[in-house]
Amino acid sequence: MKQLLKEALQSRVISQVKDVVKAEEGEIFDIELDVDILEANRKLATENKELLKKNGVKAIDVMGAIGSGKTSLIEKLVQHLKGKYRMAAFKGDLTTTIDAELIARHGVAVVPINTGKECHLDANLVKKALKRINLKDMDLLFIENVGNLICPAEFPLGSDKRIVVVSVTEGPYMVVKHPFIFMDADVVVINKIDLAQAMEVDVNKLENDAKAINPKAKVVATNCRSGEGIPSVIKALQL
Amino acid sequence: MHEFSVTSQIVEAVLKEAKKHDAKKVVEVHLDIGKLTFLGLEQVRFSYEVLVKGTIMEGSKLYIKEKDGIVKCNGCGYEGDVKYEDDPIYHVPTPTLHCPKCGETVEIVGGRECTIRDVKLLIDKDGKTNAN
Repeated sequence: MKQLLKEALQSRVISQVKDVVKAEEGEIFDIELDVDILEANRKLATENKELLKKNGVKAIDVMGAIGSGKTSLIEKLVQHLKGKYRMAAFKGDLTTTIDAELIARHGVAVVPINTGKECHLDANLVKKALKRINLKDMDLLFIENVGNLICPAEFPLGSDKRIVVVSVTEGPYMVVKHPFIFMDADVVVINKIDLAQAMEVDVNKLENDAKAINPKAKVVATNCRSGEGIPSVIKALQL
Repeated sequence: MHEFSVTSQIVEAVLKEAKKHDAKKVVEVHLDIGKLTFLGLEQVRFSYEVLVKGTIMEGSKLYIKEKDGIVKCNGCGYEGDVKYEDDPIYHVPTPTLHCPKCGETVEIVGGRECTIRDVKLLIDKDGKTNAN
């Protein structure tokens, strides 16, 4: 009898212990985080902007389609502004320093930024590049972004102005197909206008497409090879 | 774009917070994603499922609240919803920077966030509970 009772008590204790463990297995806590993932890049961009401002340097972020003429535009701007500003350039590309060398032959310091597999420049890369130049010795910085009409829009770099370059050789629909990047543009450059007729592209339509998305953007038609339109770009950039 | 890398940062941030509280499991994650970020919600969800595998976030529920874009008009002082382009060539509503009230140019003041609002963690009662 004693044995049976002992066993009965034991089994009751065991089942009780099981119940207790279940009840105390864990509690659900609601933790407020309020962490904005995109804020990190924006914060770095603001820091870059403040550093540039502190040193009196104007920075222009040149975005645009692949092969649209971003490098040619910067080359022409550098040539026109040589006497007026002390300039430098950052050149973003996945790889090679081809474009960086093209700009450097005009006598400006160029920091090539090879992004590897990243399809856009970000504020962190620009922050690193800013350490490589003497900001006290310059007034104007061109930052050429990777050829891409999609991703750079999401990543401000800390520049004063953003240019988006498209050209007639991409056909008539580049603007309507990529509305988001035009929302952030201060100046839109429509390049290679000398080829507009051959491409059967209406430059005015491209201009209207850009203005429909962003009425603030100043649109300038150019031929970066000949230099046509460059003074208007300079005026639009308020340089 | 870049949903995978953004979601990867989200998962990293949540795991970091869960570690702080010695959590056993992450039960829920609540995100606010602005309509003017160009993040595809489906891709975020897909990336999330892939990235949480083998972590304490596996099996957690992801809730995404879409936040409207907010613009402010420099002309008439309007502050509110973005004006969307209603041209049928666009398959997704495309935001424009015209004031819906007066047509002047506007500035974007909201709708560009990707915020982890809060998380629900399963914490061992006997473990460190640093809940705030």
